Amino acid sequence: MHRIPRRIDSSLIVAALLIAAVVTGAVSILRLDTTGRSGSGLSEEFAYNLQKLAAVDPDLILYAESGLRVSTGFRQSRAIALDSSGRMYVAGDRAIGVFGAAGNPEKLVELSGEPRSLTVSDDGKIYVGVGDHVEVLSAEGQQVASWNPLGDEAVLTSIAKHKDDVFVADAGHRIVLHYDAAGTLVGHIGAKNPDKNVPGFVIPSPHFDLAVSRDGLLRVVNPGRNRIETYTRDGDLEFAWGERSVDIKGFCGCCNPVSLAIGPDGGFVTAEKGLDRVKVYNSDGGFVGVVAGPAQLGKEGQLKVCNTPEECQGGGLDVAVGMDGRVYVLDVTDNVIRVFAKKEAGR
Amino acid sequence: MANDKENLTRRKFLREGLWGACLAGTGTAAGLSIARNNRDNTVWQIDPYKCIACGNCATFCVLENSAVKCVQAYAICGYCDLCTGYLVPEPKALDTGAENELCPTGAIKRTYVEDPYYEYTIDESLCNGCGKCVNGCAAFGNGSLFLQVRHDRCKNCNECAIAAACPSQAFKRVPADQPYLLKKVDAKE
Repeated sequence: MHRIPRRIDSSLIVAALLIAAVVTGAVSILRLDTTGRSGSGLSEEFAYNLQKLAAVDPDLILYAESGLRVSTGFRQSRAIALDSSGRMYVAGDRAIGVFGAAGNPEKLVELSGEPRSLTVSDDGKIYVGVGDHVEVLSAEGQQVASWNPLGDEAVLTSIAKHKDDVFVADAGHRIVLHYDAAGTLVGHIGAKNPDKNVPGFVIPSPHFDLAVSRDGLLRVVNPGRNRIETYTRDGDLEFAWGERSVDIKGFCGCCNPVSLAIGPDGGFVTAEKGLDRVKVYNSDGGFVGVVAGPAQLGKEGQLKVCNTPEECQGGGLDVAVGMDGRVYVLDVTDNVIRVFAKKEAGR
Repeated sequence: MANDKENLTRRKFLREGLWGACLAGTGTAAGLSIARNNRDNTVWQIDPYKCIACGNCATFCVLENSAVKCVQAYAICGYCDLCTGYLVPEPKALDTGAENELCPTGAIKRTYVEDPYYEYTIDESLCNGCGKCVNGCAAFGNGSLFLQVRHDRCKNCNECAIAAACPSQAFKRVPADQPYLLKKVDAKE
């Protein structure tokens, strides 16, 4: 047997190497992450992930969203209030939008400035915090009174009326102002006073809500302490409730809850930002259940947790409760009102 | 037309072509020079209102320790006891214990001011620009912590590697005499 030596053409080797180099280069270029979307490459230790904390036990969710969703039409919605007939009043941009109980737009009341808070009294008058002062409007939207300005640092984040008392939360001065119905300043509530065991309000951000319960006691959120404090109309601190915790029963973060409303049964509905949650507590402050968690408040199955600076600083949610117990959630980022009703037993 | 074609000799074509190439070259050189001069007067910076603190700044910078650092806007800060930029979401206690700190490199210092307020400062030598604290502060707080390119470190690369990898297009060139884009109180009101 004579074996013929096999010779490899050098040009073939060069061609193969060239092809391999071109293919390798092309793959490298195609796999190059020029947008950064495939991640930073940092370990989990460097990630801030709220998704893990956003899970809510489905058994704790006692409410379901009704079909009613109302677009406010504002670029920046700020606050919601209801009147006794179920009309929705939304403060936003430089106006108040009035919507019927079915969500139909009824009226747009133009204002002189940007409103941050409002309430509607039993006689239909609208009390609205505009810039550094309170304006009172008739049920038809005509200005009835404009109270004295409170200075450049005033940020009027909440108003509540009970009988002849009007309480205004001023986040800028970290104080509650007590007025009579005519707009005369009666006193200040909540200033730090160790002698009266009043710790003072801690307001890291412009979220400072209050409400008056049927017993006439003033309920004020102290967001920096993650609790709700109860004051008499004379400013005496009676008691407080609220637990600082990321657990569903508590309030997490530095400035929660951001919103508070009182239901017809005397219970409380709270809204939180960051980890968006709307929850129900009984009149003693005991946890009852969840109206909606991040999964229910998000869009298209997405969890509602802030991802962009705009979302994070948008301020989250404001809540109101109707006479029928339905919970109205104003999403100030998406400018929409969502209505939640208690689930029927067995569902 | 026929006369024009006949008059276009090879010599004439080369001569005119050479003139054209010279003009184009001069224009290109002038353009590049102007662009270079303009670029010399600008530096890279992060728009804090576009930044999503994705973490890319920590790893895409050509420097071993990124030129991007967390900065604190004290006018916006709430001086919170429960600072979510400093503390993990579920802290065991509101103190400086390492197990409670959010920053993996321990770059944030917490200093008592008065009850219940604390001041938070950044140790830039430890900060790697990962943005974890930025996300924590923004989620629950005022967003006073944010990322900026620190120009005592930045090489001002012509093609910034982080800018190319920024998923929110937050990187931009700004005038060198105004090199920082700082958050302001009520800027987004």
